[in-house]
Amino acid sequence: MSSWLDYTINGLIVGNVYALVAVGLALIFGVSRLINFAQGSIYLVGAYIGWVAVVQLHTPLPLTIIVVAVAAALVGLIIERFGLRPLQNSVRIAPLLATIGISFVLDQLVMLTFSPNPRALPSQLPDVRFQVGGGTIGPLDLLIAGVGLTSALLLFVFLRYSKLGWAVRATAQDRDAAMQMGVDVNRVNQAVFGIAAALGGVSGMLVGMYYNQIDTAMSLQATLKGVVAEVVGGAGNVPGAVIGSLLLGLVESYGVAVFGTSYRNLFAFLLLVVVLVLRPNGLFASARQAPPEPLTGTFIAPSRPVRIPRWALLAAAAIFAVLPFFPVSFYVLQTLINAWLLGMLALSLTLVAGTIGQVSLGHAALLAIGAYTSALLSLTLSVPVGLSIIGGGLMCAALGTALISPSFRLRGHYVSIATLAIGEIVSLVILNWESVTRGPIGISGIPPLSLFGYDLISPTSIYWFSFTVMVVLALLQGRLLTSHLGRSFRAIRDDDIAARAYGLSLNRYKSLAFIFGGFAAGVSGGIAAHLYSYINHETFNTQQSILALTVVILGGLGNVVGAMLGAVALVGLPEVFRIAAEYRILIYGIVLLLLVRFRPQGLLGTL
Amino acid sequence: MSNIDRRSLVKGSLAAMMAGAAVSRGAFAQSSEPILLGVSGPLTGPNAQYGTQWKQGFDLALDEIMAAGGINGRKLAYQFEDSQSDPRQSVAIAQKFVSDPRIVMELGDFSSPASMAASPIYQRGGLVQFGFTNSHPDFTKGGDFMWSTSVSQADEQPLLAAYAVKRLGLKKLAVLHLNTDWGRTSRDYFVKAAKEYGAEVAVTEGYIAEERDFRSTLVRVRDASPDGLILISYYSDGALIARQARQVGLKQVICAASSVYSPKFLELGGEAVEDVHLGTRYFPEDPRPEVKKFITGFKAKYGGQEPDAFNAYSYDAMNMAAAVVKIGGTDRRAVRDAFAKVKDVSSVIFGSATFDVESRRVKGAMNAELVVRKGQFALWDGKPT
Repeated sequence: MSSWLDYTINGLIVGNVYALVAVGLALIFGVSRLINFAQGSIYLVGAYIGWVAVVQLHTPLPLTIIVVAVAAALVGLIIERFGLRPLQNSVRIAPLLATIGISFVLDQLVMLTFSPNPRALPSQLPDVRFQVGGGTIGPLDLLIAGVGLTSALLLFVFLRYSKLGWAVRATAQDRDAAMQMGVDVNRVNQAVFGIAAALGGVSGMLVGMYYNQIDTAMSLQATLKGVVAEVVGGAGNVPGAVIGSLLLGLVESYGVAVFGTSYRNLFAFLLLVVVLVLRPNGLFASARQAPPEPLTGTFIAPSRPVRIPRWALLAAAAIFAVLPFFPVSFYVLQTLINAWLLGMLALSLTLVAGTIGQVSLGHAALLAIGAYTSALLSLTLSVPVGLSIIGGGLMCAALGTALISPSFRLRGHYVSIATLAIGEIVSLVILNWESVTRGPIGISGIPPLSLFGYDLISPTSIYWFSFTVMVVLALLQGRLLTSHLGRSFRAIRDDDIAARAYGLSLNRYKSLAFIFGGFAAGVSGGIAAHLYSYINHETFNTQQSILALTVVILGGLGNVVGAMLGAVALVGLPEVFRIAAEYRILIYGIVLLLLVRFRPQGLLGTL
Repeated sequence: MSNIDRRSLVKGSLAAMMAGAAVSRGAFAQSSEPILLGVSGPLTGPNAQYGTQWKQGFDLALDEIMAAGGINGRKLAYQFEDSQSDPRQSVAIAQKFVSDPRIVMELGDFSSPASMAASPIYQRGGLVQFGFTNSHPDFTKGGDFMWSTSVSQADEQPLLAAYAVKRLGLKKLAVLHLNTDWGRTSRDYFVKAAKEYGAEVAVTEGYIAEERDFRSTLVRVRDASPDGLILISYYSDGALIARQARQVGLKQVICAASSVYSPKFLELGGEAVEDVHLGTRYFPEDPRPEVKKFITGFKAKYGGQEPDAFNAYSYDAMNMAAAVVKIGGTDRRAVRDAFAKVKDVSSVIFGSATFDVESRRVKGAMNAELVVRKGQFALWDGKPT
């Protein structure tokens, strides 16, 4: 039984670590209703500034903490001033995309400055261990707990009893009213970003010391776990974020205890989904609290879409259709094949995110379902490849809709977080369900694409195949959008209460959207499986989900042509920037930021 | 800088794109141009550290090849394309290399999903894909253009098991492994061999690559009361596990796979990795001339930095590529056929490497049994720890 004490202590220790990130996220969400995807990057920056201070400048610990806090706060202020403030009057989704772009830029800057090799960040505290249960804890554990709890407490007092704190809360509740009452909203935002960034930077440094290891890949993981912890505790609730973090740590630890290490994250994300379904505002949100999202659809503001004349679309389709007859290299064709596959995924996402307003951050899971279904059908049951891809699409439509249905009652950001979690769950199930998916070994020897008995193996034929499939899906979706179904979808997005009052069954329409979207994504995944011939649980990862969302926002939410244009742009740009070698992702991030800055409604506008 | 000028490469690849796939492949023969190898690997993204290590090994090998007169008088160079270990990008790179007539052979990619997704394109395009870190048992089954010098885990793991069970006398083992295709395959071979040698495997735990916290896993390990911990890990996660094991008070012998063999393992692990045993393919004071040359050359080129396992793999791979091109020339099919012809290429990992034509892999990796003593890798002296 003493083991359970150890698992509990270990869970609390890790929860402690998560709390540091979660508190910063909660603070920012509390004020600007924004999930700051750049928080993990600030954490990364803090860790490396800490490394410079400790290893190069040999500063003592208190000074190191001050240096890191000040430097990270500066980074936070710069992000707020130049990355987010210009977007404050644009659609709500634009800042979200901006934080993703900022995190690309920051991560790449750190990687280019310090090289991607992991570094040791030695702890500056004495190495004594205290025996607790069957394990030990050290002074760093206590320091991390101290920093987490103190900052949560200080923030709580600051928000409740100081004048600036009142201003912060007023801004959080109603930005316009606060402004009318003379609150300097920008100053409030600055203060919040500064504090959150300082906290993020210090936590990166402390965690780096804790593991004696920092590397550039730590940013995304920190953001993911921080977001989970924050949402479990109740987004925007600072003490709730601490408790949510501890709970997350405990659940992970008990998950390892009962089922083994490879199930660890599965429990973290299941916890999130269960909490969201049972208490959509998090565990510690009071019932009287104002709803975290506006009741009507300002999350996705409609804008005037760019009307593209029919002849121009036809001409573009014709040019792409005859492209292989011109002397273009297979490399260009392959890049466009990738764009068409991503385009199908984007069609799916633009329907569920843009048209019906369910912004999904777990869309790669749909690719995975389609890919595994088609691969296994063709390999184990010898289903012809063309049929197996359709099977993948159907399976994805059914399974994807079933998986996502618990989150139908959620709104705005919470849908994104729930789908993010569902995406991770699918990937972890694929990893662990070895009898079907072959686990980490993956599925190899998947037969190539074929149609009516003819193998499609030349890049030209694969190009035509994927282009045709995408165009057909796009035409179907365009038809759907102009039908009464499309109008009902948009009605639900723009005002779900009014839609319900008109007698629209929200869940049924959301299901319909996911069925259609799931099919398109599943087909895309199925084609990819036969193209790659080998897939495993890492083939369709979180980065792909984020990429898909970026494509959709870039093209214009709900915009069918925009989804395809965005896919070409975001597959093409990193290829064009190949000349820049290591710098290409940095440039890509900057271009993304500029696009969001000057076209927040997307290239072609929301439909 | 042994790599060729980037601007000329850009011009070249633009020209190649214009010219398209129609250009006949033997059309270039000017001997002033270097013989070009394509490399597909991660320079950004989560695996970026391994791509930068590859470059170090490649550049050192190229310096030596050039100093020895190049390839029959011609220069050898490589074009490194960043794939981020993402299959979507590695397939595009594959088409790029296949349609670029200057590329005679491809090296990489790093991860199995990225490498094996590109294999059909290399196979159909008739360009050798030389995957020197691809241990996935199915990699070379992709076709007769897939060759690998990655040490087969069927070879490596029994050596590690023999070290742990026969030499160190461990009887009850806990195996912690990276839950990837490599870690999983390795674990299966290790467990099989360890049982054959008479040890019991009390518990196996697979963890994902991003994992940082192993305390709860180590409680499971403790409760299984093993007398030894086996780490099938890379250096960064291996160091984390060793540190946390010592912190929670586990004092068992730790024995690790060769992939932790890196100065970073010592730096990140600190005192916790003292007395960690590891099976490797070479060691710092190795008397073999090819190892001495590699280590002194590496330290001289990179300011005293110690090379690690991934540096050695890429150094060997470039030397192997040079030996193959010397026989096969610049014709892609001849290059493929040359893999079956090269004999006894000097190699840090294998001593001398000759391909087994059947499996398209190299068998018989060298073996050294090391232990960390006073913060340095040293040959194990046979004394118990």
